[in-house]
Amino acid sequence: MDDPFAILGLPRSADLGRADVDRAYFAALEAAHPDKVAGGDEAARRRAELAAARINEAYRALRTPVGRLETLCRLGGIDLDSSDPKRGAPMPDTAFLTEMIERREAIEAARRAGAGALEDLRDAVEDEADEAVAQARRALAGGDVAAAARALVRRRYLARLLDEIEEAMS
Amino acid sequence: MSTEHDPGAAPGLFQIEEPDAGAPKRRAAGLGIGIDLGTTHSLVAIAPHGAPPRVLEDEAGRALLPSVVAYVTDPPRVGAEALALQVEHPDRVLSSVKRFMGRAPSDIDEPIPYALGERPGDDGRVVRFDVGGRLVTPAEVSARILEVLVARAETALGAKPDGAVITVPAYFDEAQRKATKDAARIAGIEVYRLLAEPTAAALAYGLDRSEQGVFVVFDLGGGTFDVSVLRLDKGVFQVLATAGDTHLGGDDFDRVLAEHLLRAAKVETPSKHVRAEALAAARAVKHALTTQPVAAATLPRAGLEGFEVTREAFEAMIRPVLGRLRAPARRALADAGVEKDEIDGVVLVGGATRVPAVKRLAERLFGRPPLDDIDPDQVVAQGAAIQADILSGNPREGVTLLDVVPLSLGVETMGGLVETIVPRNAPIPIRARQVFTNYSEEQTGMTIHVVQGEREMAADCRSLARFELSGIPRLPPSMARVEVSFQVDADGLLTVTARELMTGVSQTVEVKPTYGLSDDEVERLVLDSLDHADEDFEARDRAEARVELDRVCTAVRRALAADGDDAALLPPDERRAVAAALEEAAAALGDPARPAGELRRLRERLEAESEPFARRRMERALAERMAGRRVAEVERAVGDAKALDERRGGHHPTMTPPAPATE
Repeated sequence: MDDPFAILGLPRSADLGRADVDRAYFAALEAAHPDKVAGGDEAARRRAELAAARINEAYRALRTPVGRLETLCRLGGIDLDSSDPKRGAPMPDTAFLTEMIERREAIEAARRAGAGALEDLRDAVEDEADEAVAQARRALAGGDVAAAARALVRRRYLARLLDEIEEAMS
Repeated sequence: MSTEHDPGAAPGLFQIEEPDAGAPKRRAAGLGIGIDLGTTHSLVAIAPHGAPPRVLEDEAGRALLPSVVAYVTDPPRVGAEALALQVEHPDRVLSSVKRFMGRAPSDIDEPIPYALGERPGDDGRVVRFDVGGRLVTPAEVSARILEVLVARAETALGAKPDGAVITVPAYFDEAQRKATKDAARIAGIEVYRLLAEPTAAALAYGLDRSEQGVFVVFDLGGGTFDVSVLRLDKGVFQVLATAGDTHLGGDDFDRVLAEHLLRAAKVETPSKHVRAEALAAARAVKHALTTQPVAAATLPRAGLEGFEVTREAFEAMIRPVLGRLRAPARRALADAGVEKDEIDGVVLVGGATRVPAVKRLAERLFGRPPLDDIDPDQVVAQGAAIQADILSGNPREGVTLLDVVPLSLGVETMGGLVETIVPRNAPIPIRARQVFTNYSEEQTGMTIHVVQGEREMAADCRSLARFELSGIPRLPPSMARVEVSFQVDADGLLTVTARELMTGVSQTVEVKPTYGLSDDEVERLVLDSLDHADEDFEARDRAEARVELDRVCTAVRRALAADGDDAALLPPDERRAVAAALEEAAAALGDPARPAGELRRLRERLEAESEPFARRRMERALAERMAGRRVAEVERAVGDAKALDERRGGHHPTMTPPAPATE
């Protein structure tokens, strides 16, 4: 699998900001953008399309803080998009899964209780998701990819829960 | 449909040449033009060699060409003179056809004011207007408009333009973009790029002012609505998100007002003439109300004289239409991850933003007064001209456009659910892959149904293409691996590739989604078009059809020589049918006068007759490959089978939905 950091010419770091990624992305595209060869032959255009697609793919992976952390995990040997028992996303523990099921049921109760209850629920879940990201960042800084992956998996569950809460609010 | 062997594209390993490997060849700086092909009117602009953009006018000094084509005379009339015929000939004067671009009749949920016709093979997928017995598609009508604009540019430039940037609503889907490109092909103009209208507008504003920051472009045209959020940074125009509605625009204001006028005139079932008159009067009233508080409408045919409409009453009437502008605006901001107070500017585009109520709404939605100092009708064409100048080989200092795909692209999986492969607002060009698996050992084929849209069920999304990947080896459930990859090019157009990963034999099926008009038909329309019906094109068309037929004949002969006597692969009655089709094809190849259409029909027949044979051969070859037979032998057989498989468009075996694999 490609290394998006390398494609954009960035160091593999969890401490990059959006501005760093944007700057590297624009610089990479400056050379590879299909517009630069719009008048060129078919082969040159195709090459540019592929190169730009690769850069865009890398950018899409790295443009959010979570994306950068997940990419670092993947490069560290754990791919959160895979269900492979060894190299894939780790299963969260049973207690967490049970809690998620209970909270999903809580959405319905909160909806009946009125908009304020849903907002409280949303704020709490948002805080937890942020905390999971912070944990992953700390784990990666300490070189513990497995712990980072566990935190990021929890964040994914929480993000899905947030979507459901927001749907219930609309 | 075509097949290709692409060994270099293994997942995660695909190698690309570095862009600086060999200086890209560019042609000498050419003449590019920018075209705004609008719902109600169209424009052309130029910005040659770095000059500021200039919108071109006709002899009468008019910049706006009404997007109206009158099939009353031959050749048809276009623009203001066509519009003048509309009340007299409502059936034969076509306006706002942009609403129908790339659509099937069933997609259109508004009354269609024209008679529709159908040709054999349309299967209800193509809108064809019946204008006095002649059938024309929206792409053809648009081509007539493009021709007039190109001619206008040619007069101004003193030479034929080399290519054009044509703008499309950012929210146009795949089929609508493809139809626009086809219109240009029919008109005989090269398309450098399809450019999103709001992006074009930003380009016109940004270059003028060297702006920095986050901008919202609020584009309400005659028939389409787009909101785009862009970031401008040192000449880089990055589209962060786009949202919209391709069936919402100023035309809807006219319709609501026209109905009001007809009610006032106590006309219950208006004739087409009366309806056309009411619409024209509604447009005039709408325009008058942008600057004055009251306007009067007169409908001689309906017996309405000096009927007064106040701005207040008009705004009350259009409130439901205005309400539909809110959701896309909010979605674009949310997708861009931008808060109201981070917006540095709001740009108004499209004639309908002149309506004061629309301006007020934009201000409320984005929390700041909008910029409207470039004529909202002209700003898109100006931006297109700038981009055309860049793409024709005149690099403007540091301008880079980064656009996005407006709607998610995905495939249908088990149970009719959509698995998204390219999420909306992903930057283009982009390539994305997803691996799918089989759901039972019996499954040797997989139907790839490509859809576009944000809904969870495939049935609620727009269907772009459906094709079958066959020859999957029999493997226990969830063991097969089929990789589906999507590639969206810089025009926002999609190519889908499916590959079977387990057998080692890479089978690649590539599909360019279509919207009902086949490439062949577009090609014929190119030939039919008045300016291009010369001998050259006909001869080329014939030559191409001949080459294709010859290729298929050769592949069939080779397959017959190898396995024709194997009744398990080719039962005797099938063999007779294949032989008959082959004989007829050979006879046609021997006769240089055969027209292209007949050659194509013969090829299609030969492909259809030999298809089961080809499939059985391929399946056997794959089975043998699995059993460890010699690779070269198998690959040869697969190669033959693929050659036959090529262009087997429109053939859909029983659907076997793929199941997603979480690898």
